[in-house]
Amino acid sequence: MSNADIALMAHLMRRAGFGASRDELEQRVARGYENVVEDLVNPGSPNAMPDDVIRRYHVDMAEMRELNSAGAYWIYRMVTTDNPLEEKMALFWHSLFATGYSKLNQARALMNQIDTFRRHSMGSFHTMLVELSKDPAMIIWLDNNDNHKDDINENYGRELLELFSMGIGNYTEDDVKECARAFTGWTLGNAEYMATRASRDSIWPYSRIAWHFQYRDHDHDDGEKTFLGHTGNFNGEDIIDIIVQQEATARFVSTRLFQFFAADEVDAAGEAVIEQMMETYFASNYEIRSVLRTLFNSDYFKSEAARFARVKGPVELVVGAVRLAGTYQEPTFGADQLARYTLYMGQGIFQPPSVEGWHEGSEWIDSGALVERVNFVGKELGDPGNPGVKALIDRMSAGVKRPLSAEEQVDACADLLGPMELSSATRTSLSEFAGEQGEADLRAGSRTEADDQRIANLLRLLTATREYQLA
Amino acid sequence: MTTAVAAGPVEYIKTIGLTTNQSGRGFTNPYDCAFAPDGRILILNRCDTVRASLVRIGMMNWEEDYLGEFSRGYGRADGQWILPVAIAMDDQGVVYVTDEQQHRITALDTDGNFVRQWGEKGSGPGQMNGPAGLAMNAGETLYVVEQGNNRVQRFSTSGESLGMWGESGDGPGQFNMPWGVGLDSAGNVYVADWRNDRIQKFTGDGQFIAAYGASGDGQLSRPSGVCVDSDGYMYVSDWGNERVQILDPDGGFIQSLRGQATLSKWAQDFMSVNPDERNTREMSNLVPELPPHLDTPYLISSQTEPYFWGPVSVRLDSEDRLFVVESNRHRIQVYQRRKG
Repeated sequence: MSNADIALMAHLMRRAGFGASRDELEQRVARGYENVVEDLVNPGSPNAMPDDVIRRYHVDMAEMRELNSAGAYWIYRMVTTDNPLEEKMALFWHSLFATGYSKLNQARALMNQIDTFRRHSMGSFHTMLVELSKDPAMIIWLDNNDNHKDDINENYGRELLELFSMGIGNYTEDDVKECARAFTGWTLGNAEYMATRASRDSIWPYSRIAWHFQYRDHDHDDGEKTFLGHTGNFNGEDIIDIIVQQEATARFVSTRLFQFFAADEVDAAGEAVIEQMMETYFASNYEIRSVLRTLFNSDYFKSEAARFARVKGPVELVVGAVRLAGTYQEPTFGADQLARYTLYMGQGIFQPPSVEGWHEGSEWIDSGALVERVNFVGKELGDPGNPGVKALIDRMSAGVKRPLSAEEQVDACADLLGPMELSSATRTSLSEFAGEQGEADLRAGSRTEADDQRIANLLRLLTATREYQLA
Repeated sequence: MTTAVAAGPVEYIKTIGLTTNQSGRGFTNPYDCAFAPDGRILILNRCDTVRASLVRIGMMNWEEDYLGEFSRGYGRADGQWILPVAIAMDDQGVVYVTDEQQHRITALDTDGNFVRQWGEKGSGPGQMNGPAGLAMNAGETLYVVEQGNNRVQRFSTSGESLGMWGESGDGPGQFNMPWGVGLDSAGNVYVADWRNDRIQKFTGDGQFIAAYGASGDGQLSRPSGVCVDSDGYMYVSDWGNERVQILDPDGGFIQSLRGQATLSKWAQDFMSVNPDERNTREMSNLVPELPPHLDTPYLISSQTEPYFWGPVSVRLDSEDRLFVVESNRHRIQVYQRRKG
């Protein structure tokens, strides 16, 4: 098993998941890269932390009324799932179809939306857009409950075209109006009562009532419409039929997937990959799974140039650190803090800054967010008592014949955290720190808690490097 | 074979409670209730993470008059709670509360004065791991269900361990994260064996008598609580199915309740001064048809206000009225079996 194979698999698992331990990487390398891609895009049972034990311990996650409780509930799933790409895709759709708690006051509806994203995460984009249009959280978020047969509200129709499928410049204002007409009558059950409660942030008399889709035929405009050059008595699904056939839609979806999984910036080589993804989009009848397969198996994605070319998003960073540290594997007191940490780093789950979602890439990093990122990851990985950290040090200890020098400690930690390729300046600084701590004697019979703490201290410092902040 | 009094249907009486996000009248994630000899109903409010400081016991009566509240607050000091689960009361009016986070039992009087506490994390006599359900026999013996130790431990009201039984597993006398506990008039002990999806019945000193229920459709799913009326009928809060099941004294199925909450007196007060919500509520269907992806009991209950949602405890008062405590709906639905 070559180091190059390990490094490539680590790259795939950082992007299509939340990172992986060396043991997991070795198991996946043994399975072969393309087989692993197939495993990822065809997820089986998640084997995540069971709902019943979560809801018994966390009354807040059972009721799902509180914003950060809902976020932490999702993080539990991300941390413990065997299907990391499924959760990564749910996170992708949450970023693309950004829906916020501030207007809804309904965490359960937002979590149901995530369930919808997960259910259709890698299926047909057509189905995804239909389900999105029926999603009660989205309906309230973009006012489609106020989109009536005799008084249209264009908000959802406009964003469906601009932010969710084609992008601005690919349709006219008339198309927006006709699109909105087609989605009249697409609302939620008991819309008037639910909208009143949402606007008043009412929890009375007996807490929130979750939402479900309802189609009101009597409030639907069934008249003739002309949309993107097509004419007919279109309903919402007919509009989506037309949208998914557009080249602009193929480009939009492929580009967003590329930026989320491959590189923040699209260069000429990346543009060629996007063209391939667009071809797959049409050839597969708009199947996201196939588009992802094209991306992950592309030479571009596998190339050295694509490595560490993305800034880890806050949720990725938090989940990745927790998975590696092996913490939060069972209901844990104060778990809602996990969601708060992602907020402090700039990505509050269910709290996008606007309907456009988050500004990603280098905009994740500012001085305040960076301190939060470093502190959180350092706390998780700097504690040798955490099961994942202990396992990492155990692995480092296997077969050592003599105490590790400062440079050896740095190289071993960088290898097991990535493998990470450190700049010479970073390596020198870390080696100086390790040298001040002294040798780490990890030989059986010699290893002490102090040795483990030295390694953990080094891991803590490594997570503060530029290299660790990139995926 | 027990000679059973003929089973009449269990009928809905009324709903009590109201959500609140502050102290005073209303419930905040209620987890259990108890009944004082003077008619007071004591409601243990566990509270969520945002309102943890409101952890408390509220008091009301059958007429739904608010009668105050007490606690020592949220925290780790003497008498304080972190994650309280269950409540019981002795003959002297002392209230006992399990705290699964602090692995201890706290005793307060109903003025909130600290009486005593005991317990620490562990598996030895007097130690506890995740104490959950709590029942009081004859006002002097406490039965404590320990989810982490998979056992039942008996205590005197002064905190002396009087013995224990149970271990991890799914055989007779074994448990998997048990939760609630109830007693019958003969002193037998019924344990909601939560992750084994069954109720187990024991003598007061822990001899196995019978088990009721199993996993699967039409059976039990994660039962959280059990109580037994004066004729031996069992009432089980079938938490995972968001319902209550009634069994005859031999464990035979009698009736299933899905919940039918109406507006409590306090809820009516709220609606009377909030016409926007009252008017739009009146034009709503609160028991809607739902799409297939929302067809689990939990999700149905989250959408259907009258149904049970989070039935964590069932208790009977001195008149055999059944109190179903719903943590997610912040209320108690009351039912009663018609006799004869």
